[in-house]
Amino acid sequence: MKSAIMVLKEQIDNFYLIRRLSLYELKSQNKNNYLGILWEIINPTIQILIYWFVFGTLRSSEPINVNGEYVPFFIWLLIAFILWIFFYQSTIEGSKSIYSRLLMLSKMNFPMSVIPNYVIFSKLYVHIAMLIITIIFLQFYGFTISIYSLQIFYYLFATLCLIFSVSLITSTLSTIIRDVHMFLNSTLRMGLYLSGVLWPIAIIGNSTVIAILKLNPLYYLIEGYRHALLGSSWYLIDHWQYTLYFWGLILVLFLFGSILHIKFRRHFIDYL
Amino acid sequence: MDKAIIVQNITKKYKLYNGTKERLLDLLTPKSYGEDFFALTDVSFEAEKGDVVGFIGINGSGKSTLSNIIAGIVPETMGSVQITGQVALIAVAAGLKGDLTGRENIELKLLMLGFSKKEIIELEPSIIEFSELEKFIDQPVKSYSSGMRSRLGFAISVNVDPDILIIDEALSVGDKAFAEKSLEKMKEFKKQGKTMIFVSHSIGQMKQFCDKILWLEFGKVKDYGDVEEVIPKYESFLNDWKKMNKIERQEYRKKAMK
Repeated sequence: MKSAIMVLKEQIDNFYLIRRLSLYELKSQNKNNYLGILWEIINPTIQILIYWFVFGTLRSSEPINVNGEYVPFFIWLLIAFILWIFFYQSTIEGSKSIYSRLLMLSKMNFPMSVIPNYVIFSKLYVHIAMLIITIIFLQFYGFTISIYSLQIFYYLFATLCLIFSVSLITSTLSTIIRDVHMFLNSTLRMGLYLSGVLWPIAIIGNSTVIAILKLNPLYYLIEGYRHALLGSSWYLIDHWQYTLYFWGLILVLFLFGSILHIKFRRHFIDYL
Repeated sequence: MDKAIIVQNITKKYKLYNGTKERLLDLLTPKSYGEDFFALTDVSFEAEKGDVVGFIGINGSGKSTLSNIIAGIVPETMGSVQITGQVALIAVAAGLKGDLTGRENIELKLLMLGFSKKEIIELEPSIIEFSELEKFIDQPVKSYSSGMRSRLGFAISVNVDPDILIIDEALSVGDKAFAEKSLEKMKEFKKQGKTMIFVSHSIGQMKQFCDKILWLEFGKVKDYGDVEEVIPKYESFLNDWKKMNKIERQEYRKKAMK
């Protein structure tokens, strides 16, 4: 508990630092390309078109039922995909954030727990830009902004909490054992297929399997995003048990991550 | 006088593993695997405020390890370090980001050291001037020569006005003019009464600059005292050391490690 408060306090005290550092992070990543930061948008756009082609035309492109309303497959995919790409990229980057930056940062008294967070933030800007593009796009399809859209702020915050808690654990573990990062790298992709991004998990039909898939906190966020942007219902209240489960899980992950981080952070440099 | 640095019974143990298997076993099981290597054993010394302490010793004597521990970069295995004030370490490969320009690196580094936006704007011109990079300041750091890089690193560290400065062979790169300029800056710091630690192989610079010398030998303190006292002893040791052949050196090492 003490470690968790310490980590939380470091985030709040250094919020200015996180914001500034994340901008430099974004800058230095795209310095070598002529199109610069635009690639952060082009890359996911190409990916989503591929998935749309494969899953939309080859499988079936029937509209999908979201809370009683039928939504074109592309729209349904788009909303989940921008969230997925944000989660995927920032979890991978977050996992290697500490060991790849340690040599540069250890020369000064720098609050280590801030490192995964500013890496995540550098991805957040891109995500917000994609979100805005998506919302504008949705207007043309008739899914206009409504009172339900406000939920998006809640889900954005929840997503950040999830990514940060996970990164706190993985960044510590992969600094100590580099294989953890490789493992994450090769297994995280599975999440794209199992989190209900590409196909509605309801088509499985087996209720036990569905219940297991729903244990994945990402599924909660993806469904929440869809309900918020498609303006159909207050998902977080309608499924309050699920909301409770999600935050319980976040709390456990965050506590575990903080304890791990605080315990090992003094010795990170010895593992390099 | 106030004590600026108090180092008490510092020991630094590294583990040497034969392959990754031992490393993993050591991490996961309570039993100890791998061979212990003591980079520092029971090192103690004190420096008063305003002292300039030189660390000398042959290669592998633990000079850099000790300065890293004092700077708080590497954790000690045993013992304690007490420091009054902010420490800045200047090493040759001070962390700079290759993709960013020199100017961006200055801003980034100052930001990470906890400076506010206003302070950064104030400090920037003097750092750029000191580094003598001129128009290269807006080029990416990866295109810099090693001399330019260390000049930039040095300029940043010197201009942030730390209380304790640790200089780890940073003056050995760069041309003579810049080395002289840096030395001038050091002298200015000395006048201001800043505490400094100087790690170098250049006995000439040490004599010119330091008040006290800490002589490390195979991770132990061989001698600690005034410059006039320690340097001659070290010089005569160096002469003997040079004459020794490989076997004699090994024997000497064994004797010293006991």
